[in-house]
Amino acid sequence: MKRILSVDDSASIRQMVAFTLRGAGYDVTVAVDGVDGLSKAGSARFDMVITDLNMPNMDGIQLIAAIRKLPGYSFVPILMLTTESQVEKKDAGRKAGATGWIVKPFGADQLVSVAQKLVK
Amino acid sequence: MTVKHPKSARTTMAAQTAQTATGVKTAPSVTPPPTTTTKSVPAPLRLLDKSSKDLTLLARASETEIDAIARAFQELAGQSTVILGLASAIVDCIEGEGIRSVLPQVSCLGTAAMLFVAERLKATVGILDTVTTETKLLKHLSIITASQSTIALKTRVLTMLTNVEVGRLGTTGSGFQHLAVELSRFSQSLSEDTEELVLHTEARRHAIEITRRVLTGQLPHLREEFARIETSLAEDVRELESGFNALLAIPTQFRSAVQDIAAQITGVVAAIQSHDITRQQIEHVQEALPLVEASLSAGSKSRATLARAAAAQDRARAYAGLTVQIYQLQSIKATVAGWTSQVKSCIQGLLDIGGSGLVGISPLVLEQEREVSSKLAHIELLERESVEYSAKIRTTVGSHSSLVQLVQRHVEKSRDVRQVLHLLSINSIIEASRLGDHANAILEIGNGISDLSSEWSKITDQSELAMQEILRLVEQTRILLETFSEDGDERLRSAQDETRTCLVGLRAAAEFAARQTSDIQNATRRMQTVSAGVGRTCDLLVEAYRHLDTVLETLEAKRRQLETAYPEVRRGYDPQGMESLFSASYTTETEREVLHAALNGKALPEFQKPSVGNDVELF
Repeated sequence: MKRILSVDDSASIRQMVAFTLRGAGYDVTVAVDGVDGLSKAGSARFDMVITDLNMPNMDGIQLIAAIRKLPGYSFVPILMLTTESQVEKKDAGRKAGATGWIVKPFGADQLVSVAQKLVK
Repeated sequence: MTVKHPKSARTTMAAQTAQTATGVKTAPSVTPPPTTTTKSVPAPLRLLDKSSKDLTLLARASETEIDAIARAFQELAGQSTVILGLASAIVDCIEGEGIRSVLPQVSCLGTAAMLFVAERLKATVGILDTVTTETKLLKHLSIITASQSTIALKTRVLTMLTNVEVGRLGTTGSGFQHLAVELSRFSQSLSEDTEELVLHTEARRHAIEITRRVLTGQLPHLREEFARIETSLAEDVRELESGFNALLAIPTQFRSAVQDIAAQITGVVAAIQSHDITRQQIEHVQEALPLVEASLSAGSKSRATLARAAAAQDRARAYAGLTVQIYQLQSIKATVAGWTSQVKSCIQGLLDIGGSGLVGISPLVLEQEREVSSKLAHIELLERESVEYSAKIRTTVGSHSSLVQLVQRHVEKSRDVRQVLHLLSINSIIEASRLGDHANAILEIGNGISDLSSEWSKITDQSELAMQEILRLVEQTRILLETFSEDGDERLRSAQDETRTCLVGLRAAAEFAARQTSDIQNATRRMQTVSAGVGRTCDLLVEAYRHLDTVLETLEAKRRQLETAYPEVRRGYDPQGMESLFSASYTTETEREVLHAALNGKALPEFQKPSVGNDVELF
């Protein structure tokens, strides 16, 4: 079963992402912020990461950059799931290594569809 | 608001709210106010401090409710998917091949039944005609046999006369004796054959009469049945079609209603995600309040210690800050009102969904099955009746072979008789001429035989004609009787078998619909239980957000005070500059739009009810 890491400081968002993707057959692990997310990514292998941008302790941009340095994560798809939609933020995300960007609220069907596309 | 570093307003604000290296968000640093005791802190500061605390309470309280609503709606989304699947299965079942084929099959059965009856009707009329013709023919045959009987009688008379003459002539007439014997034997045989034919003809006439009565009795029934099937066939198909359309409408309507609810649930799930935006909005208002506090404080002290322009600027900034926070809070309030409205509307829809209409599907299908079964049973009855009376016909009309043989034998005999009579006639003339004057009586006999011979010849011709006519009738009857054979029923039988197969499908569909309906009702009840719980949670959420009103009242009162005391504050700030300052700390498009509206005196952007979530943008 493919594994996905969901990182967000909002409990309801974590819960929704997990529910949506578990319903589609994925094994979902959640993290409460960037530090927690990095720790979990380092201790287990994930096939995709979905992270919020604005989080305490370590924001999403920093997390992506750090994850990309972990062994085996160079090509793992990482999506940013955030309330931000500004072009500058997206550019920063892409430069850090983000694969895609979702502005909240996310569409459940669309999220599942992109997971199926990216995680093979 | 005072700033520590001479940077651009945007980056200053951003730096003030930037996270530290450890990622901890810090409150923006401000120039601390002159040390004063709590007692001397102006009243506005305490109120805004209380407002900040109220917002903290609000955020904490609402998080639990939001989480509960989110979980509930995710379960509802799952249940609605299950129900949609079940309802779709019922729709597919009713629209499916098994049921769809019933209508054309019933039509086909009706047509086959109509043809069955029509063919039998035609055959019955045809056989009735042949029977009627045969009756006439048998009458004619009776006349012929009567004539033959007369000839037989005359032959006996001639025989007696011949015997008398033979006695009279004595040895002279010995040649004639042979003739007398032949004539006697012939006369006997003729009488016997004629009697046999009379007997058989009579028996045949009797049998024909029974058949005629059977057919005559059956004909009206067949005509009636044909007319009934002809008129009711189209009506039956229409009724069935109407029944099936009504049947199909039920799950289709239900499925449509559930699809609407599923769409609403999707909308609510998307709306709940927006809580992340309102949560950030609340946090940013909380972060901004101390800054407003500081500006108010600076603005109120400034009279005494700073230049008036700077004081005015502080007051204007405080005013702008208050306006922005008021707008943000109003936006949050509108958003929450929008959600709760969306949630309640969805819940109401859920509570209104009733699967009760679906309960009627199975009985409706069974009713259709009974209708079709009844038609099938009626046709089977027609078939049985047909078999019964066709058996009757066969035993009478069908047993024509004996008549044929009899008449054939009789015609052959007639031909033989014709020949014999002819020979007898010649022989008697020869004998008479041989006997000379003694043969006057024999000559008379010879003439008599000659007359009989020509009379018989005519009768033989008539018999042959009658024979041909009989053979033609026999063939005609044979062909008509084939209509009643089992091979002729093949089309109807095939239609009946197909219809029975359809009935099996109908019964299976009824059972399937009943099972699905039961599952749907269970799932609907579960959804309604969850919905009731969500309703209560929603009320708690609304209650929690009442803290917002308290905060709004405080900030609005504060702003009114400023407007009253310093009317110039409204125009005392640069909207663009202030927008740049504030937007640096905002992380959502909503906040930026609200900020722009607040600083430029525009109406608050309307709450947009989300229906679906956003798509993913891949780089």
